Amino acid sequence: MTPPAAPERSPLRPVTGLWYLLVLLSALALGFGLYAYSIQLERGDIATGLRNPGNGGAAWGFYIVFYVYFVGVSFAGITVASLARLFHIETLKPVTRLAELLTIVALIVGALMVLADLGRPLDGLQKLPMLARPSSPFYGTFTLVVSGYLFSSLVFFILAARRDAATMARTGPRLLRPLYRLWASGFREEGVAHARHWRTSYWLALTILPLLVIAHSTLGFIFGIQSGRPGWFSALQAPAFVVLAGVSGTGMLILFALLARSIFRIRDLVPEAAIRWLGTFLWVLAAVYLYFIIVEELTSTYAAPRADRTIAHEVVEGTFSTSFWVAVGCLFGAFLIPFVMYLRKGGSLGWLAVAALLANVAAVVKRLLIVVPSQTHGGLLRMRQGVYTPTWVEAGVVIGGAGMLGLAILVFGRYFPLVPSHVTDEQRHTPVPRDPLRSIVSLVWLFGSLALIIFGLGDSFRLWSHGELDPRVPFSPAIFATGVILLFSTAIVYEAFPARRRTPPARVAKPPPRATLRRKAMPPRVDVRAQFRSSRDRRIRRTS
Amino acid sequence: MSDPKRRSLLKAGVAALGAAVLGKQTEDRAEAGHGHHRSGPPGKADHAHPRWGMVIDLDRCTLCSSCTTACRQENNVPSVGPDDDHRGALIEWIGILWQEPEQPGALPTGMPFPCQHCADAPCVKVCPVGATFKSPDGITMQIWDRCIGCRYCMVACPYGRRSFNWEEPEWSGTQVQMLNPDVATRPGGVVEKCTFCHHRIRRLREDAAVEGRELRDEELQRLPACAAACPAEAITFGDLHDPESKVATQARDPRRFQLLDYLGTDPSVIYLKRDRR
Repeated sequence: MTPPAAPERSPLRPVTGLWYLLVLLSALALGFGLYAYSIQLERGDIATGLRNPGNGGAAWGFYIVFYVYFVGVSFAGITVASLARLFHIETLKPVTRLAELLTIVALIVGALMVLADLGRPLDGLQKLPMLARPSSPFYGTFTLVVSGYLFSSLVFFILAARRDAATMARTGPRLLRPLYRLWASGFREEGVAHARHWRTSYWLALTILPLLVIAHSTLGFIFGIQSGRPGWFSALQAPAFVVLAGVSGTGMLILFALLARSIFRIRDLVPEAAIRWLGTFLWVLAAVYLYFIIVEELTSTYAAPRADRTIAHEVVEGTFSTSFWVAVGCLFGAFLIPFVMYLRKGGSLGWLAVAALLANVAAVVKRLLIVVPSQTHGGLLRMRQGVYTPTWVEAGVVIGGAGMLGLAILVFGRYFPLVPSHVTDEQRHTPVPRDPLRSIVSLVWLFGSLALIIFGLGDSFRLWSHGELDPRVPFSPAIFATGVILLFSTAIVYEAFPARRRTPPARVAKPPPRATLRRKAMPPRVDVRAQFRSSRDRRIRRTS
Repeated sequence: MSDPKRRSLLKAGVAALGAAVLGKQTEDRAEAGHGHHRSGPPGKADHAHPRWGMVIDLDRCTLCSSCTTACRQENNVPSVGPDDDHRGALIEWIGILWQEPEQPGALPTGMPFPCQHCADAPCVKVCPVGATFKSPDGITMQIWDRCIGCRYCMVACPYGRRSFNWEEPEWSGTQVQMLNPDVATRPGGVVEKCTFCHHRIRRLREDAAVEGRELRDEELQRLPACAAACPAEAITFGDLHDPESKVATQARDPRRFQLLDYLGTDPSVIYLKRDRR
């Protein structure tokens, strides 16, 4: 790199006072969450409002609701980033990093919510990687969602930010520079690097989108495939989960983008157009989900079996009616506001923030309405109806999770630019030289990870266990997850593989034009067609 | 379950993996349900792989709740506190499923209600770690030590016959002396359920092996604690695969029914309708 004439300036800007306030609030929330969880660990799950279903309670409550909610929030991030790459939507580029960050943090917080739900969390951490069975949707949750989805997003995120990490390694806070350097992993500011990233990001985006649909469908399947639970058992659950995830995720992304614009003083870098695009995305998804609600309620009230009808009745006009109409109202607001803004091609961004907030309220309440009524009122046998009232401990743990989400994003934005630096089309389309070693290593890596995936999955299915309960090789679910992680890290290997030693720069300064060289080395061109023509002419002449 | 078939599937490579996986699942299910032997007219006796089952004759049952008490005593089922906070935290392996009286003013009716030990058990399918599984003799077992406490089985069970230890069970001094040494106590944070008094079956098997004989139907009929305690002899236990056994004979009674049989879970607990003469 040629040394710049003026000292390079850090892309970070000073934060506003609001940052300090929000960090304080998030830290307090996190602390409160930890305290609440410590109470639960000490007293046992009796500290929650959960009880045995069929005996007057619900076995799943706030934790599962917010697990599904946080994983749902993660939806928009990676979708937006993938769409921006696949369809080359330049408008969205400024929010992609924030979106990916939201995805990663929300997924981690979601996984922690499951952990809070487990009766024996430490055993869960040990036994799920060791013994998990794919026939349980929880396996899908822990391997596909957490490993596949989280790590693909992480790889996407890490690779897209290498250039900015390299800049930060030169200009950022001295204490953090080794970290930035590690992240940049030898990034060199040259067209080839951008072109390579352009390639890998395309393949990653293409892989992530179907994975995303699978992951969110898995969440839906947790509920949708339980034939013994009226209200859950429905083929609509999986697609509805994908769409509702989109509603809440897009809403959350709009909120975070608006907040980040003012907290990190990046109003000029995040144009209104990007946020308006997200608004459009929001009303489309909200409209689809409203349609799903109508389909769901019509099916379960028209001539459904008794238990399904009981639940639908409880939800629409019984015990849960207030929550239901709040959810529908909020969802309608989340549709109407951005829709009107779309029609008028204008309107204040403040209104969009309101719509985004409504979308998230609707998502939480609707999830509660999916998880709880079926357990408390959905017994197929006439057993005791239940009640579920979350305790302060559960609420505290959830608040702690939200605090963690906020804290992670705020702190990250303080030490890393949230808006990716601009890459020109010219840089992206730089011809990539042949590099056989890089390709071979990447391919070996790819196939190695595929082998791990196949073995890990097969053994998790107990294909080679001969009727035993355990997989043949201990930790084969972990082997599968590692395979998934390595599969996505192929992109890192491909991009960060050290470049071949080139000729010293002195000679590069005046490179001989390779094209002319090659042309000179080639034998003189022979016009085959002309030769053919002449021989044919001769033949014709001879026959005539 | 044939090995060569499985091997050939594996050889087919990546493309066949999906098929192999599906095939394996079907096999697993077949194995779990003993090839979906219907519990109705039992087939040939198969003492190597019996299918333990229970017939509860509601005509005999007086709803005295002896079975529930005996079960608690036998299986060290912890009692929970009496306060409101513990409502719904009740742990029971066999309870009474009360039913609304048909005419107002009539006495309430009900039925003893243990785990149904379904041949195709929804709880077994959803357990993420294999803590609950079908034993070869058809019992839906639960390994306490393996359970991580996710409670997925509880929400999946259509009968609501699984209980969670919402807190660490406490046993006072005298209670400790009354604990049954044959059954392990469970820690907090795990799900527990009826095992058809599996430990009693095992002991009986061992005794029979020592004496070098087969299990006899007479010694099985009142084997589980609930059946042994029933003063009206309403509960009969035995091998549903053995057509001569009392339980299989009773299971052919025209009054027979299974709870929620339309779900296709094929319970091993068979009820005989109350005969209103």
